[in-house]
Amino acid sequence: MKPKLFFNANRLRRLLILVYAAGALIAWQLINIQVVSHKKYMEAAEQNRTQTIYQTAPRGRIFTADNIVIAGNLPSFSLYYIPRNRGVTREYAENLSSDIAQYLPFSKEDISKKINVALKSGKDALLGENVSPPKMFAVSEIRMYYPELYIVEETKRYYPFGSFASHLLGYVGTIDNKFWNTRNVKKDYRLNSKIGKNGIEQRYEGDLKGRDGELILEVDSVGRAKRRIRDNKWRAGSDIYTTLNFSVQQTAQTALNRSLSGKGAVVVLNPKNGAVLALASSPDFDPNIFVPYSDEETPHSQRTEIAEYNLAVQGMYPPASPFKIITAIAAAQTGRLNIEEEINCTGKIHMSGREFKDWKAHGEHIDFMKGMAESCDVYFYNLGTKTGAAHIERIERLFRLGRRTGIDLPFEKSGNIFGPSKRARSKTYWFGGDTLNLSIGQGELLVTPIQMAVFAAALASKGKIWKPYYIERIVSSGGKTTFEAEPYLISQVDLKDGVYDLIWQSLKNVVDNGTGRVAKIKDIDVYGKTGSAQNPHGDDHGWFIAYAAKNGGSPDLALAVLVAHGKGGAGAAAPIAREIIKSYYGIE
Amino acid sequence: MFITPSKQIIKRRNIDYALLSIIVVLSCIGFLTVISAVSGLSFGQEIIKKYLIAIPLAAAAFIFGWLFNYQIYNEQWKGVYVFILLFLCSLFFAGVVTRGSNSWFKFGFVSIQPSEICRIATILVAAAFLTRSYRSVKEFKTLIFFTLIVAPIFLLIMLQPDFSSLVITAPALMILLYIAGVNIFYFVLLALFIISSCGFLTAWTFIALNPYIIESSGLMYIIWQTGHNLIYILGFCVFVLALCWFVWLILRQFRIYVPSIFLFIVAATLLVGFFSGLVIDRHLKNYQRKRIEAFLEPMSDPKGAGYNVLQARIAMGSGGVLGKGFFSGTQSRLGFIPERHTDFILAVLGEELGLLGTIGVLILYILLLWRTISVAAMSVDRYGYLVCCGIFGIFFTYMAVNFGMLIGFVPVAGIPLPFISYGGSNLVASMWAFGIVESVYRHRLSMV
Repeated sequence: MKPKLFFNANRLRRLLILVYAAGALIAWQLINIQVVSHKKYMEAAEQNRTQTIYQTAPRGRIFTADNIVIAGNLPSFSLYYIPRNRGVTREYAENLSSDIAQYLPFSKEDISKKINVALKSGKDALLGENVSPPKMFAVSEIRMYYPELYIVEETKRYYPFGSFASHLLGYVGTIDNKFWNTRNVKKDYRLNSKIGKNGIEQRYEGDLKGRDGELILEVDSVGRAKRRIRDNKWRAGSDIYTTLNFSVQQTAQTALNRSLSGKGAVVVLNPKNGAVLALASSPDFDPNIFVPYSDEETPHSQRTEIAEYNLAVQGMYPPASPFKIITAIAAAQTGRLNIEEEINCTGKIHMSGREFKDWKAHGEHIDFMKGMAESCDVYFYNLGTKTGAAHIERIERLFRLGRRTGIDLPFEKSGNIFGPSKRARSKTYWFGGDTLNLSIGQGELLVTPIQMAVFAAALASKGKIWKPYYIERIVSSGGKTTFEAEPYLISQVDLKDGVYDLIWQSLKNVVDNGTGRVAKIKDIDVYGKTGSAQNPHGDDHGWFIAYAAKNGGSPDLALAVLVAHGKGGAGAAAPIAREIIKSYYGIE
Repeated sequence: MFITPSKQIIKRRNIDYALLSIIVVLSCIGFLTVISAVSGLSFGQEIIKKYLIAIPLAAAAFIFGWLFNYQIYNEQWKGVYVFILLFLCSLFFAGVVTRGSNSWFKFGFVSIQPSEICRIATILVAAAFLTRSYRSVKEFKTLIFFTLIVAPIFLLIMLQPDFSSLVITAPALMILLYIAGVNIFYFVLLALFIISSCGFLTAWTFIALNPYIIESSGLMYIIWQTGHNLIYILGFCVFVLALCWFVWLILRQFRIYVPSIFLFIVAATLLVGFFSGLVIDRHLKNYQRKRIEAFLEPMSDPKGAGYNVLQARIAMGSGGVLGKGFFSGTQSRLGFIPERHTDFILAVLGEELGLLGTIGVLILYILLLWRTISVAAMSVDRYGYLVCCGIFGIFFTYMAVNFGMLIGFVPVAGIPLPFISYGGSNLVASMWAFGIVESVYRHRLSMV
């Protein structure tokens, strides 16, 4: 064999090493891509491949205790344009947009712009959202000529009774950034999703939402739909049954709206378990304005300036005369109440050089029953001074005035506790005049209407302080009860024997013979106390707290009515209470 | 590593069955993948038809290369050289311009890409030249002559312009020179040239993509200024000369006496590289710059230049280990992979057959290259040896660039993967090339 001088084995070997090294490098990177990052790329491929059109699930309905739907759904439609794999001429697109513009309340230019974007990008375009059924039927007729149009049936929130319990129900609106971060944990919200914004709608969003339907289409690289892969039907949200009594709530709202100032709050509780029978705050709003059909006009201002402020849990007022019950209880509890003792009311009292006025001069021979019935301030000035502010504050704290009731509503205010120990804690002095103010419920003491209702319920149930609740049960769309309310007893206020009976007697007397005469109803025992909270900025606020029972029975409802700037409890608040009690017992 | 002639058991076999079977298996995989890739395309039928025409032609080319004694190319190398030049020149008269590049002949239904055949022929010519000058191969003048010989071919290729031929042929010729025994020093110079030209080019593109980096890094600021400020350019020249001089001084301290001419050459190479980088930077076409940008940061523009690479990688990655099965790759069927039957065929393969497919093809390719080297080692003469190494160089470059492009090591270059990608001319030329390798094998024992 010829000697091979041309042969350089080393360089040849290095070449092969180069091949193996390159091969190893490539293999390593291939494994990286195809095995290590497989999942990531798989998802990317899936996302490339599919396009999803969502179908909003109907929100769960909300019922009153007597099974009346107060928040339901109406059919609503969305119109999509899905570009298809076929040539679309400019003329065709123009015709399409002008045909749609005939039926939908959008301008032809807007629609043709959307269609052009869709054609260019290949992605689907949402031409119209929340379209009402009649308009959509019209569009569905022209759909025959334009197969690219796609109608998605959805639902929209509807409140059949408008402003009925609007503060309790809340409303729904388009999701905003704040909710986007906190709510979208399960990634089941989209940028145009509707979300509960207040009240039950917000608090029970997770139950009400349900699962949106998805129509999954396979698309090619330019986004044109090739075929339908999957159609996941939506699942409706859970139904919520509230404890509200339809007629009581209705009556409360109409009465409040008709009242002198049109501003106020009513809370009606069941003293046996703390269930909210009605919770009304006026002025109220119609939550339907947030979810209009696209062809309905709602002025923007109407949507931004809603009366979202819930006076029933957020309004803080001095309790005024109903607080005299506390003073009386404190006196009786410490044995300083002699119901036969009579005083002479001259309409004012002097204390440390200041004059404290009564709302009128009641004259001579004012005993406890009369003092309560006529709401004589001078009587309670005396009684309060005799009892001592510390004892009054103790009873005030026992009945949890000036503290949150714990009702499941956002932004509940606590009010303000008033008394010597509170003063001592803030390192200021307690004066004799403060005792006088405290005895008649004026001064720095602030309470919310729901606290007064809880107080009334506590009197009616002889000391049981229930946590107010308004959700009876939640039933999933499959019919399973997922939540059942359990009444929660916060505390039990035990008083000396006969004190509750005495208070009941005096409150009955207020309605039968005293300032609360307006609330007197035949065959019904109504116990109540009026009040007029002095307001330095305008007319006095009118209070009326009451509870009522069928003759001889135990009380069935306890309520607190506040009419802001209503001038007085007897004139403004008591008539509302009367209507509410009548509607509860079904008396015409 | 490879079978050296001394260990070779002499068997009178005329054909290397291992090499042939590797080629057949690769071609079968390629054929199936192409069918799967084009099945969704509107012109898919046409492509398959053309493929079916190309197969017998390719077989004929293989048999032609195998039966013909490869020595004929050596003897008639001037003829082959003239043939290449004429073939490439004729493109300017009879060629068809597609996508801005004049590199196709069209004969009715069939179109032919002469540059595919010319790549192989160039190797034949270069090998013939290096065979002749192997006594003087370490001298500089041989390199000069070599450059003068291949320069006209490269000029014609650049006039078409056919970027992919350039990318394939140049590294193959380098490998050929290395195997032929050219002094390592020249490769060092070449490496320095490439580093200084491409290095600055890449750095400038990178800075253009991330302008904020100038503020945070002083070095980046200097590099950027070096490309755009005359004072800095002059400063850079002085710096390079000073550096070389400094290195020379240090080497002398260690009693290593390097002729100063070498350091001048190094300095000159660095500077020439730098200036050519500067010139390329000014004259780079927009789409070429986009490709470099996409290579540096594929995610910077996922809908634009980076789109192809990204989608191809998604396709491969989504295939996983076993793939989605033939005809079921969503990325390829729905048109996310560009050039799915040619340059990006591996992405289709990776999606439908998974890691099994890609690694399989990779291993087959490595085997193919190993066999080619083995045949080179068996060759009876220097010419056969060099031809095999040149062909090895071509196919190694194909593999490196095509795989490298998909896994993000190399910018998108538009290079097919022979035997796997669709391409009639490419298949015929590749089969011819391996026919020649088989011919070297056939004549491994005697010249006859």
